[in-house]
Amino acid sequence: MRTGKKTKVKEGMVEHLTVGNHIANFLIHACLIMVAVVSLLPMWHVLMSSFSDGFSLLSFKGVAVLPVGKPTLEGYRLIFRDSSLWIGYGNTIFYVIGTISLGFVLNVLGGYALSQDTKGRGLMYAFLFITMLFSGGVIPTYMVMNSLGLVGNRFVIILLGATQTFYLVFAAKSFSAVPVSTVEAARIDGAGHIRVMFQIVLPQARGMFFITVLNTFVASWNGWYEASVYMASDKTKWPIQLFINEMTNANVNFLETATPNYSRYLIQFAVIVVATLPIMLAMPFFQDKIEAGQLQGGVKG
Amino acid sequence: MAKSSAAMPVNPHDKNRVTWKKDWARNKTVYFVFIPVAIYIIITHYLPMFGVVMAFQNFSLAKGVFGSRFVGFDNFVELFTGDAFLNAFKNTAIMSAFTLVIGFLPGIVYALMLSEVRNKKFKRTVQMISYLPNFVAPVVVTNLVKLFLGNDGPLTALLTTLGLPQQNWLANADPPVFWLIHTFMGIWQSLGFGSIMLMSAIAGINGDLMEAAAIDGATCMQRIMKITIPCIAPILGMSFVLNVAVSFRTIGGNVLLLYMPQTYSVADCLYTYTHRMAFGSAPDMGLSAASNLFQSVLGTVLLIGGNILAGKINSDARLF
Repeated sequence: MRTGKKTKVKEGMVEHLTVGNHIANFLIHACLIMVAVVSLLPMWHVLMSSFSDGFSLLSFKGVAVLPVGKPTLEGYRLIFRDSSLWIGYGNTIFYVIGTISLGFVLNVLGGYALSQDTKGRGLMYAFLFITMLFSGGVIPTYMVMNSLGLVGNRFVIILLGATQTFYLVFAAKSFSAVPVSTVEAARIDGAGHIRVMFQIVLPQARGMFFITVLNTFVASWNGWYEASVYMASDKTKWPIQLFINEMTNANVNFLETATPNYSRYLIQFAVIVVATLPIMLAMPFFQDKIEAGQLQGGVKG
Repeated sequence: MAKSSAAMPVNPHDKNRVTWKKDWARNKTVYFVFIPVAIYIIITHYLPMFGVVMAFQNFSLAKGVFGSRFVGFDNFVELFTGDAFLNAFKNTAIMSAFTLVIGFLPGIVYALMLSEVRNKKFKRTVQMISYLPNFVAPVVVTNLVKLFLGNDGPLTALLTTLGLPQQNWLANADPPVFWLIHTFMGIWQSLGFGSIMLMSAIAGINGDLMEAAAIDGATCMQRIMKITIPCIAPILGMSFVLNVAVSFRTIGGNVLLLYMPQTYSVADCLYTYTHRMAFGSAPDMGLSAASNLFQSVLGTVLLIGGNILAGKINSDARLF
């Protein structure tokens, strides 16, 4: 009934559209299409460059709308030959899986403890909120990791990326949303806290939890800073992002030389595509989750 | 108000009535469950807080925190009497201001335009595409910027046809160039993603208002100016105030990947200065820690101030 009324009004609005409204509508659509094009174009350029002929690409100045020169898979063939890139991918996958796993455990435990009605809940929250206000910073953190003997250890990346205060509070929020009666019923039936946590509360809050996992995944897949600080000299532990950074920085100087090696130029595009495309292709499926996560987080980040 | 709460029946599970002993007996497991999290937070957050003593030491890595000599405020004096730190401070403030002032409007305009679109499929597609830059790794984004604004880059070519000299724009140390690059890069990264909050605020505006205005013959522009903007103004004000604080803390991550020695005079900011003093070629850990502490205290002050201000604008808008 109500929806019927609404469409009627909307139809009425369409009938009364003036010429000015049509022009405004057209301009709005044109602007939005432009936003979409600008958002995609740089990555499209990379994608097309990666299929290009390396030699023609070097002398090409402009945005590659289509592969430059004869389309090839040469760039991707070069990746297969470069063992350091495989090391990078391996490390990134290791860091991502480790970070998500540790983060998941911590978020479930912390979120559950914070969502329960205990006398110490306020204290636990205060314990977390203090860290939001005061942070030691990069150097003191480095010193702590140094004295724990973790500098140069792969675990440090997992440790620093696993979770944040914000994720813990978010987990607690999503656990609190589970009806108390469900939890109490399970408790009366004799389920322990651990059992309630994993078998009752977590399945009901999994939608919200997935958002945290998604955020952790993106952050650790794209992360580079921790690795550049904690394992600067040990390339065998670098994630792929650091290899990309090194390669592209080297290429900047490299292209100024008289006879640049085009294959090194070409491979950088292929590497970026392999490191970025999975996320780009996966994200559209999670549009609602992304939006929900951002709304929960408010202005954060 | 006070009357109604006094009249409420006493809840036997009222937290204040349960003694700590009883609470412990009942919720032991809950506290045990929290222990791993507490250990994690202590290692990653609380222990580093004690690192602030480094700011007051002539710190050397070999001697450690306990072996290094205390020098009082010498590090801070050195910071504020030298040029590099003050330059970094100035650039941080300028880049924050650029990001806030130039970066704020496009987000609003984008959200308003999007909210006028009736075709749902078109709207969702544009939204999704505009989120994507946010998921491109910083390393890749900065590489794209270098590529597009390099000597032979497509954007440089565009600027050249507009009459500007051909050059590697990232090596240009003339004042507004680097700041603008940094700002527009930020806009590209976060335009769509940053609009999510605004879009939901606009969607939450009472539809009856819009209908009534449309029936009364209000034009599209009138509806935006008289209904939409006043309705989302509190959220705009709040996110602006809080962004001041947040941007002061976070500005520099992209700069670290983007700047080079030629552009230190305009690009160096507190984040990069702190980083370079700690891990650069001529490290001075004590100085770096002092700079870090200054940045951290300033960030906290701005955050608390911003939060109070946001609460004044809209009491639901507070971050904590």
